[in-house]
Amino acid sequence: MADTVMECRNLWKIYEKITAVKDVSLEIKEGEIKLLFGPSGSGKSTLARCLALLTTPTKGDVFHRGECLTRPGVNLNKARARIGFVFQHIWLFHHLTALGNVELGLRRVLKLPKKEARERATKALREVKMEEWANHYPAQLSGGQQQRVGIARALAMDPYIIILDEPTSALDPELIGEVTDTLRALAKKGTTMFIISHEMQFAREVADEMIFFNQGMIVEEGPPERFFTKPSSDRAKRFMERLIKRTTKE
Amino acid sequence: MDFIIEFLPRIFDGFLVTIQVTFFGVIMGLALAIPLAIGDLYGGKIVSTIIKFYVEFFRGSALVAQLFIFYFSIPTLLNIRIDWFTVGLVAFTLNSAAYQKGYIKGAMESVYEDQMTAALSIGLSKVQAIIYVVLPQSLRIVIPAWSNEFCSLAKSTAALLTIGGKDLTAAGRTMASQTWRILESYTFIALIYFLWITTVMKALDILYNKVKIPGLEVSA
Repeated sequence: MADTVMECRNLWKIYEKITAVKDVSLEIKEGEIKLLFGPSGSGKSTLARCLALLTTPTKGDVFHRGECLTRPGVNLNKARARIGFVFQHIWLFHHLTALGNVELGLRRVLKLPKKEARERATKALREVKMEEWANHYPAQLSGGQQQRVGIARALAMDPYIIILDEPTSALDPELIGEVTDTLRALAKKGTTMFIISHEMQFAREVADEMIFFNQGMIVEEGPPERFFTKPSSDRAKRFMERLIKRTTKE
Repeated sequence: MDFIIEFLPRIFDGFLVTIQVTFFGVIMGLALAIPLAIGDLYGGKIVSTIIKFYVEFFRGSALVAQLFIFYFSIPTLLNIRIDWFTVGLVAFTLNSAAYQKGYIKGAMESVYEDQMTAALSIGLSKVQAIIYVVLPQSLRIVIPAWSNEFCSLAKSTAALLTIGGKDLTAAGRTMASQTWRILESYTFIALIYFLWITTVMKALDILYNKVKIPGLEVSA
């Protein structure tokens, strides 16, 4: 039985006017890939950010490798360093080259010497096939290339899990493939991932389990095949039908 | 033109004073403005209120009045004497910091949120994120505003005249009153201001383009 890498119990996130996450519990085991999907505005990003400790949940606890990180007094910076996060809108550091983006955490968080940081950053860029572009600035790269650098930035820190918040949804359709290919390669290597995505073909291939999320709650979870053949909830069924129809049209 | 040559050493001395006070004021003003901007953004209500008072005082009152306060009022209260040069350095630094704080804060706010979140996500602390991510980007954006501030401060230093400072304008006045060549004297002084200010502005322009992030369109 593999170890639980990340877990949340009875997680709530309540903003002034809306409740974004309602009593969510889930866990991810080592080497597992879980894929969360659901309508926009359903609280998926908020959940991802709570799990990555980028947002403080209102109630409930987040555990990483058995340690509760929602208690007061936890060193969040240290904890975040080993949790990879890939943003929907990419958010590379504009003033640094691709290599600089990947190196920053290695140098300033892990405090690696210059040479070692460079080697490790180059290796991470190689893994996402961006080594040749190491000296380009984000604004000189295409969206897909930028997102691959974003993945390398997370990867270089040697995370035990990578959380990806709709990594392809801000990209032009023709650029999605290069990012999903990169993620497929990571999946093959056994990287533990929590992915928010609506790329259904990709989901079917890589996910161990899919979670349908709506109005801040988990509506249904199970293996991808079940979602593609006979989802048990009506809401999930309708949503799947729409998504699949959209994909086949393209 | 003989009279100009005769007065050149005096003009040169005055010019040096003007340059020194200007550069000191702008650079020390920047050094002070950065912590002020950070304090205003992250320091909480009390700190940000204190900063607001400071800024409003220096932006909302006449520079000459500020010079008088530092040259006459404060020394009288403390029963000390401060020379006009030191008063100039202090007053222009504090005055310029008040303006520059606004520019820097604005630039920081424009790059702040997503870049900060991204920085936190790789494990940087908030302070590290400011130092390595937010400031390097903000300071690039702020250069055009900064060059305006330089331009305005360089000319404001002429107010030193009111507390007996021997700056460039003071040298011009001496020359005009001793030779009665009023038109030539002040035209010559104005020309010196014009030349060195446009040179520095041009240099800042070049710097701005040099450190500009390749490929990125920024609007400040």
